[in-house]
Amino acid sequence: MSGVLVIAESRRGELREVSLELISAALGVKDDAGGRLAVAAIGAGAAQHADALGADGVDEVLTVDASTEHFEPHVHGAALETLIEQEQPTLVLLGHTIDSLGFGPAVAARHGLGFASDVTRLAWDEGPVATRGGYGGKVEVELDFPERECVLLMLRAGAFAAAEGSGGAAARAVEVQAEPRTEHLGFRDVETGDVDITKADFLLSIGRGIEDKDALPQFEELADKMGATLSVSRPLVDAGWMPNARQVGQSGKTVKPKVYLALGISGAVQHLAGMQTAETIIAVNTDPEAPIFSVAHYGVVADLFDVADELAEQFE
Amino acid sequence: MKIVVPVKEVAVLDEEFELLEDRPGVDPDAIEWDLNEWDDFSVEEALQLREAGGDGEVVVISVGGEEAEEGLRACLAKGADRAVRIWDDALAAADPLAVARVLAAAVGRESPDLVLCGVQSSDGVHSATGVALAEHLGLPRVAVVKALEHEGGALTVERELEGGLVELLRLRPPALLTIQTGINEPRYATLRAIKQAKEKPLDVVGLGDLGLEAGAVEAAAGSRVRSMSHPDTGEGAEMLNGSPAEVASRIADIVKDKMSG
Amino acid sequence: MARDPKYDILFEPIQLGPKTLKNRFYQVPHCIGAGSEKPGFQAFHRGMKAEGGWGAICTEYCSIHPESDDTHRLSARIWDDDDVRNLAVMCDRLHHFGALAGIELWYGGPHAPCMESRHNPRGPSQIPSDFEVNTHPRYMDKDDILLVEQMYVDAAVRAREAGFDIIYVYGAHSYLPLQFLSPFYNKRTDEYGGSFENRARFWKECLEKVREAVGDDCAIASRFAVDTLYGPSSIEIGEDGVRFVEHVDDLVDLWDLTVGDIAEWGQNAGPSRFFEENHEKPYTGQVKAGDHTNKAVVGVGRITNPDTMVAIIGSGQFDIIGAARPSISDPFLPKKIEEGRPDDIRECIGCNQCISRWEIGGPPMICTQNATAGEEYRRGWHPEKFHPAANGDKGVLVVGAGPAGMECAMVLGKRDMEAVHLVEADPEIGGCVNWISQLGHSDGNENIFRGTARGLGEWKRIVNYRQIQLDKLKNVEVHTGSTLSTNDILEYGAEIVIIATGCHFATDGLNPATHDVIEGADTSLDWQLTPDEVVKGEKQIGKRVLVLENEGYYMGVSIAQKLAGQGHDVNLLTQMGDIANYMEFTLEAPMLHRDLHRLGVGIHPYTMLEKIEPGVCHAYNVWKPDHKESFEVDTVVLCTQRLSNDELYHELRADKDALEREGIEAVYMIGDAAAPRMIPDSIFDGHRLAREIDSPNPAMPLPFIRERRLWGEVTNQDYEAMLQNTPDVEPMVVAAK
Repeated sequence: MSGVLVIAESRRGELREVSLELISAALGVKDDAGGRLAVAAIGAGAAQHADALGADGVDEVLTVDASTEHFEPHVHGAALETLIEQEQPTLVLLGHTIDSLGFGPAVAARHGLGFASDVTRLAWDEGPVATRGGYGGKVEVELDFPERECVLLMLRAGAFAAAEGSGGAAARAVEVQAEPRTEHLGFRDVETGDVDITKADFLLSIGRGIEDKDALPQFEELADKMGATLSVSRPLVDAGWMPNARQVGQSGKTVKPKVYLALGISGAVQHLAGMQTAETIIAVNTDPEAPIFSVAHYGVVADLFDVADELAEQFE
Repeated sequence: MKIVVPVKEVAVLDEEFELLEDRPGVDPDAIEWDLNEWDDFSVEEALQLREAGGDGEVVVISVGGEEAEEGLRACLAKGADRAVRIWDDALAAADPLAVARVLAAAVGRESPDLVLCGVQSSDGVHSATGVALAEHLGLPRVAVVKALEHEGGALTVERELEGGLVELLRLRPPALLTIQTGINEPRYATLRAIKQAKEKPLDVVGLGDLGLEAGAVEAAAGSRVRSMSHPDTGEGAEMLNGSPAEVASRIADIVKDKMSG
Repeated sequence: MARDPKYDILFEPIQLGPKTLKNRFYQVPHCIGAGSEKPGFQAFHRGMKAEGGWGAICTEYCSIHPESDDTHRLSARIWDDDDVRNLAVMCDRLHHFGALAGIELWYGGPHAPCMESRHNPRGPSQIPSDFEVNTHPRYMDKDDILLVEQMYVDAAVRAREAGFDIIYVYGAHSYLPLQFLSPFYNKRTDEYGGSFENRARFWKECLEKVREAVGDDCAIASRFAVDTLYGPSSIEIGEDGVRFVEHVDDLVDLWDLTVGDIAEWGQNAGPSRFFEENHEKPYTGQVKAGDHTNKAVVGVGRITNPDTMVAIIGSGQFDIIGAARPSISDPFLPKKIEEGRPDDIRECIGCNQCISRWEIGGPPMICTQNATAGEEYRRGWHPEKFHPAANGDKGVLVVGAGPAGMECAMVLGKRDMEAVHLVEADPEIGGCVNWISQLGHSDGNENIFRGTARGLGEWKRIVNYRQIQLDKLKNVEVHTGSTLSTNDILEYGAEIVIIATGCHFATDGLNPATHDVIEGADTSLDWQLTPDEVVKGEKQIGKRVLVLENEGYYMGVSIAQKLAGQGHDVNLLTQMGDIANYMEFTLEAPMLHRDLHRLGVGIHPYTMLEKIEPGVCHAYNVWKPDHKESFEVDTVVLCTQRLSNDELYHELRADKDALEREGIEAVYMIGDAAAPRMIPDSIFDGHRLAREIDSPNPAMPLPFIRERRLWGEVTNQDYEAMLQNTPDVEPMVVAAK
């Protein structure tokens, strides 16, 4: 087995950025892995993405026109199995995304592949070496895969840079027969809400640390005073205090503002995934070990209300 | 309806902890154990389905050492009917694929109509065990379910996607779903229920009881931990010290500087 | 856990004359209601702070002679050897725990009414006190001056005998030495009045003489209000303030700096409603900043945050962190920083309940945050130690997570009860504190005098502290968003049930003045509100508002302040002679009055409502009921009285068979649910029940030690028999000489 197989991802006809990040990660180990890099797009309309996926260094783009219009985990799983069987890669890269979670682990389990998810760094030492978090992000773990001829890794979105270039690779269609086991009934868009936080230059983001819904107006006011847009981490949306449109994180929005000021957010991996590429990250938390400090540029260990009160005065 | 809910007792690390020197790991004294937050929601969903159906059984299963008994008893206190704990020393460092293989043996024996797993655990955050388990069981699956209805022999679910987008799907049991937080409002157990839970069955089984060889765990494992370290704090977050007033002043300076440029 | 190195600076020793202060945590003199005549209370309260790591702890103001008698208010006294004997108990206990003992030698002059001693105080000029009523001082001639200076010396010698390490010549808050220095008090034309040197002479001579008598053995401290905030008529920091520091700098080993005068000493002991942490910095901070002293400086400002403390020392604002209220709220503040657990610090909320008891004159202190303040000796309570309950195997259900419920569940948890469930109907714990802490704002503008309304947000610390502690207790489960019916409670499976469901405001005008409802009062109508409805903001409030305030504390006036600040026309009525009487005792009244007057609130004392109609309220004067007044209104807010939410308790207790059947052995009720009261009293109630949950009859509080004269032969054992049963507090250390 040799070479790298990348599984690209699209939704409602649009190619997702993580696909290009996977290609870039693959390029980093391509030679170690045997010198060949194939990128596959699965699903109806896969062919339209062939150009975009043909970045510099990609040897072939495989389009798998599977029977379903939308993502279906069993169909995608079967498609991946077929591709692995045909291509015999030593390394398979998927994004650690909600779609891929639906079939990546299944394929790995069924075929006894090496496996790791939410991988943030990829290296090679007689085989892939994957880095991910442990104990909720409080430690960093290096994994290897002895005696696994094929390893399937799911890479964290946003952890790798996107590959450049397009149109350079030959495209080939691949046939896959697969039956869906779920029926798609439709999509429902997020409540559009009032703001698009992905367009904001400056986000003031609050999390569980504010503890009480009654504290919200204070932070809405503070965001106003600072000229920031208010965003939140998941727990506040779960509790019904804020609409999903304001959520930063894996199941919310990915943002890349100039300034991301996080108050009372510990930095669960799902949240970090949504903001770690912001240009300047300032984090305030009472826990000096909070994972958010590992991505922040500036950190403050202090009570967020004390700091918020003082910030309000700074921006009067 | 028979519903199996695999649960996990997760490790919560103290703020200050030491890494072991002879092998990758942390000092066990720095670990506290707690039931995985996602499992509160999957257990609650199972209980609600059983209540809506009028009869049925909810069985919770966990791969874990003695520390897992507290979480299993908590699930029994909330209303689960039966608990099973699986342990063998070989499982000490098991990765999601190994755990899924072992769980499959125990879950398979139950012949469930529905298997509900949490999307992920808060310590490992692999988001893989449930889907791998489904594969071993040969069950259709949906990952990251945020709403669920069981009507007329079919399951209608909402799958939560990035950006808040939601997909509606239908599938037929038996099936496996991984459950996202926020799907329901988990109940809590009264003192009486906690007391009564002590009398409910909690079986402890080993690999042999499940028909698995000792080497099955290693054979199923997907990875090996080769090192563990403190996270790289990047170029280092520059820590700002001082009174809240001083800190706020510095933050204000940074903000004004970055926003003007 | 280990101390965070950034706090190392707070643990560096510093020299005070011949004494070494082991760290920078210093309890400045403050009143507690113990004096020299309750030596157990005095020694054990102060001793608790020494045990908690404070480097130096001082008495309250300590009278040097019967001419300086503050009765009805309670000071310490060092008039004779028996006082020495009693105060020595405090010194011994402080030394046992490794702290220095300080004594604040005080002569009050015209501010001391001498209602017990019936002596006649002396003063620099014969002008009565602006603080006490009708107290004229006797004019001090030269002989009188020497006489009083000798009183300081004699008192200092006795203080050394008792074991004190730090001896103050106390002038701040405008007592005698400052009365000589300040032209507000001193109109003399001899060499003790007029020029700065003359006015400073008395204080300087006292320092010289005291220093000569005891300065080799003890550190000499002086407490000085560097700015009395009266402008040029008294002491200003930029003028006589720094000048005086320089003038006598050689004579002191420690400067203890404050601002303000006794008549409005809330400018110093600033309540959080009006003053932020470290609020005295612009004044007291100038002494070191301008290089006016070569000696150690301690200052205050309700400093509770360890990072602020580090900034204060690091920046050179003070050398030593002074604290009174933060040390009452958490005697173990220094230890918690040292042990690397600053999140366990129980922060002062600046309510000034502690001060209010001294102001009333007589009662022992209390503290909202720390229910053990004042109970260290008489009940043997330790703020950090909770011996396990004998009935720990009983399951406990606490219904309601307000101040009483949170405290009770927390203490039960700390007493190792096996299983405590705290169940709250609201989505968050905290009860009434959650909405009360939103009050205290007006329009955000500054007042004419120092002190701008900034809200009661710090009162939320009541909840923050308990939330953190409850999270840490494995044996306590907290469930929110759950309303329990009588049946739910019966079936819960607890052997002990504690009802802590709080109270509500009367909706029909029932009030303490007439003991009756008010005709037309009905807060179910959308133009009549109770105070909590105002904060919750669900009803519209019209332009013209009438607030009826019968309680006498902060609720009615805070509502008036809030609505006036938002632009409403507000009239505030009370049947009492003044609004918010109790706020005189918490020192919040002057700034509040200024705020209400600035906002144009109509204030109507001695006025009661007899009838409420849509659009108009009919009031009368309580002294002359046929003197009527009508107020045109759009909205009425009734703050007449509160009523307990006690239905659950009575329903449970009514069905004894059900209780027995379900295995419930006891049902208790605490806090506002039993009887509406002030927040510190609710917290105390919950605390007490938990401390005594394993006594034979927990519903009735156990007896406490009353320090009093017992006829016949008396030993300390007679007083301390009770302490046998309270293993948390270390017993009396050394018998007094």
